[in-house]
Amino acid sequence: MSSVTAPSPAVGPADPLVPVVRGRRRTELVMLIFAFALVAFAFANVGYSLRGRLPSSMAEYLGAFAVVMLVAHLAVRRFAPWSDPLLLPLAALLNGLGVVMTYRLQQSGRNGSPGFVISTLSSSAAITQVFYTAVGVACFVAVLVLIREPRVLQRYTYTFGAIGLFLLALPALLPASISEIPGTGAKIQLRLGSFTIQPEEFAKLALAVAFAGYLVAKRDVLALAGRRVLGIDLPRARDLGPILVIWAASLLLLVFESDVGTSAVFMGLFVAMLYIATSRTSWLLLGFVMFVVGAFVASKLFAHVGERFEVWLHPFTPSMASGLAYQPDQGLYGMASGGLLGKGLGGGQPYFTPLVQSDMVFTAFGEELGLAGAMAILLIYGLLVQRGLRTAMSVKDPFSKLLAGGLSFMLALQVFVIVGGVTRLIPLTGITTPFLSQGGSSLVGGWMLIGLLTRMSDTARRPPPRPIQDEGLTQVVTLK
Amino acid sequence: MNRALRRISIAVLVMFVLLLVNINYLQGFDTASLANEPGNSRAFYAEQNSYERGSIVTSDGVTIAASRPSAGNGDSIKYQRYYPHGAVYAPVTGYDTLYSQTGVEAAENSLLSGNDAALDVRKAIDLITGKTTKGANVEVTINSAAQTAAYDALASLGKPGGVVALNPKTGAILAMASYPSYDPNVLATHNGKQLNDNDQALLKDPAQPLLNRALQATYPPGSTFKIVTSSALLTQNPSTTINTSVYSPTQLTLPQTTHVLTNDQGEACGNGSGQVPLIDAFAQSCDTTFGKIGMNLGAQALAAMAGKFGMNDPNLAVPLPVAKSDYIIPPSEALTAFSAIGQFSDTVTPLQEAMFAAAIANGGALMRPYLVQQVTASDLSTVQTTSPQLLSQAVSPSVAADVGQMMRAVVQNPNGTAFAFNAANEGGLVIAGKTGTAQSGVYQTDDAVFTSFAPYGNPSIAVGVIIQGGGYGAAAAAPIAVQVIKAYLANLGKQ
Repeated sequence: MSSVTAPSPAVGPADPLVPVVRGRRRTELVMLIFAFALVAFAFANVGYSLRGRLPSSMAEYLGAFAVVMLVAHLAVRRFAPWSDPLLLPLAALLNGLGVVMTYRLQQSGRNGSPGFVISTLSSSAAITQVFYTAVGVACFVAVLVLIREPRVLQRYTYTFGAIGLFLLALPALLPASISEIPGTGAKIQLRLGSFTIQPEEFAKLALAVAFAGYLVAKRDVLALAGRRVLGIDLPRARDLGPILVIWAASLLLLVFESDVGTSAVFMGLFVAMLYIATSRTSWLLLGFVMFVVGAFVASKLFAHVGERFEVWLHPFTPSMASGLAYQPDQGLYGMASGGLLGKGLGGGQPYFTPLVQSDMVFTAFGEELGLAGAMAILLIYGLLVQRGLRTAMSVKDPFSKLLAGGLSFMLALQVFVIVGGVTRLIPLTGITTPFLSQGGSSLVGGWMLIGLLTRMSDTARRPPPRPIQDEGLTQVVTLK
Repeated sequence: MNRALRRISIAVLVMFVLLLVNINYLQGFDTASLANEPGNSRAFYAEQNSYERGSIVTSDGVTIAASRPSAGNGDSIKYQRYYPHGAVYAPVTGYDTLYSQTGVEAAENSLLSGNDAALDVRKAIDLITGKTTKGANVEVTINSAAQTAAYDALASLGKPGGVVALNPKTGAILAMASYPSYDPNVLATHNGKQLNDNDQALLKDPAQPLLNRALQATYPPGSTFKIVTSSALLTQNPSTTINTSVYSPTQLTLPQTTHVLTNDQGEACGNGSGQVPLIDAFAQSCDTTFGKIGMNLGAQALAAMAGKFGMNDPNLAVPLPVAKSDYIIPPSEALTAFSAIGQFSDTVTPLQEAMFAAAIANGGALMRPYLVQQVTASDLSTVQTTSPQLLSQAVSPSVAADVGQMMRAVVQNPNGTAFAFNAANEGGLVIAGKTGTAQSGVYQTDDAVFTSFAPYGNPSIAVGVIIQGGGYGAAAAAPIAVQVIKAYLANLGKQ
């Protein structure tokens, strides 16, 4: 594969997407400081609200957080100087708010403040979360250092595909004692002693890379072959293979790991990338119909899938409210009690919601920061996704385009599935809230995703090589 | 590909708009209906803590539960509940935790917390005049002297038991003590972890400190049930008087068994002739006499009389719920003899013991026992008040007078079981009572029971005492009753 891409006429100097020539690293630093200030303010707010003074360990927490983010910033300056200046500050802000919320939830009921102790949350959860932040940023830096040019990933299409499917299938193959989250029936983790990993968080990234590589190679045949029926271009039967494989894998995930949310994200990612690659609406319709039919059949065949719909439709009947719908109901009550402006960090009662620190964490923000804060968080996610899609549009090579578009869409879909789930827009399926949920795998996976987007935005925004004027009319182009 | 990416961007935009619209609905418009869902613990919690909770005071003005500003400024609940006398009044006040209440705290919760509909008009006025709304204050019928004497006497004995004192004329509960008790202050903490630890410690304590023995524990009444048997006899046979000679063998052979009923230590009743006046058999508490009377009357007659004294009523509430005192119809005549002397399956609460004496003291009219005298709003206007009510006319005034005379003999006659507490020993105070020493079958030592009223001529207090494993009623239970009576009468004299 050639490492040189001839400039296509569509992206000449007149293209409005290209003219950026400034690195904007200073903007990134200013925004990062702004994000840090918000996090510091939130942290202080929790302390004052719960105990009337600054948290005793505030300097340590914020110091560690600042150092980690500074390292990330310096790494970007060194390894991706042309990258988008908002990706890192937005992720840092979400990550910081997640640490603050973990700290706040871990404090409830301690040292004279009213409230339950959240028995499922260890008293060192916030410190652990800061540690995971450091690991996440280390992975972010590693992505920037190891992948200097996004297209190199294209060489490992099938390797990443195999890794992704293996990671996805691993928990289902292992005994429940290792892979099941106690009490939930969801087999999605690997437990090694007291340490747990959720491999799906990394599988999603590997599969996104694999899909991008596969679709770049096959997109012409997928886009053009087929016939038109009722105004819709139907693909050829032989080209249906890959989508059927992914569909089957996502249904197996649904059935054997009881993980509806990830299954939806996984299917959505593939269908969206298929659409970006081919611009063919029929793929979109086909994927959507296949998922809905599969999920519907599964809901009839498997109780654990069907009951999610019941919880969604009738959450307040007495048997539901005290049973399956107890957790989602408490989350809704929390958001309702927050109202427009919220109870203030530390002022609400998010501890009434079981496992509020993981899947339900958005409701804790809704309760304590109110509608205003919840909308702000959604807008931060929206901005992050928008920066990713912007990168996809401006990057030149099709592989990066697909990968950036797919990853951005996956992030959006994940936010939609979990936030929509806890706010009863759609049936609740437990997946993590990117950067906000307490837990390491999701955070590390999230930072790797940001790393990939940062790398691709650097490629997209890097100015074209300058002509060397002394050579007269002959222009020498530096090749990488 | 950019065209597809733009469309994907639009799809993403739609997704985020849907999320934003949905949370606007949820947090902007749907809050009231979600707050009213019955399972919403946040709403319950907010309502519970919206106003300063009212106080609970005794009839003689002693504050036994109150609220004060919370100490920690990081505390989101403004007021801290406290109980100045802790364990002494715990069976009365109950506790008010972050999440639940018991006792008067539970029974009058809506008024104490300020959320009762009866307070709506006053709250509206507070809103207009700018006054801070507070919960209503509850005045209980408890007399602090009687209550303190009851608890101190139980505590110094150190055995589990309950004491209830009633005003026989009204049914007002003057004392309601239980031992072992607990300090409700440890459950009033706003620290969730501490609350949980303290609650678990109390729940796991084998001494069961949270059990209100005065109302919630039942024990066999033993010989105090002879009040019921005598009442049934005197009511059914109007020709019988307290001086009528009754069959009083040293040993009573029971029908269809080889079992022989004897008196306490196998001693003779009276002079051993087998015939003694009813009053002497009552004062000496002859089991053979009353076993025989019971068999003659039949279980149905005993059950009817027990019911008139308030037994077999599962719905009695003061307004705290009261455990049912049982008289179960025995399956045989022999067991009827046992049931007539307060054994077999008879069980009563200390409250029921006090009700026996109270009915006799009040001319046979049993007043409905009650604990809450009145509720006043924070502006001191009366929200509700309890007026005395007749629960049942247990016996006619003449039968009550007869039984009362016999109860006087228990304490005042030299051969009475409680002669140790006669008028000469108690500074001229004439107390009437009945002892009971019950084999509960569950505990090693017998339960000690005593029911009494005083002063005999014009009764103003009736006291029931049950001491689990206390031994003889006269030895363990009667001294406690006498202390409560004397403390109450002394306090009454002062007022």
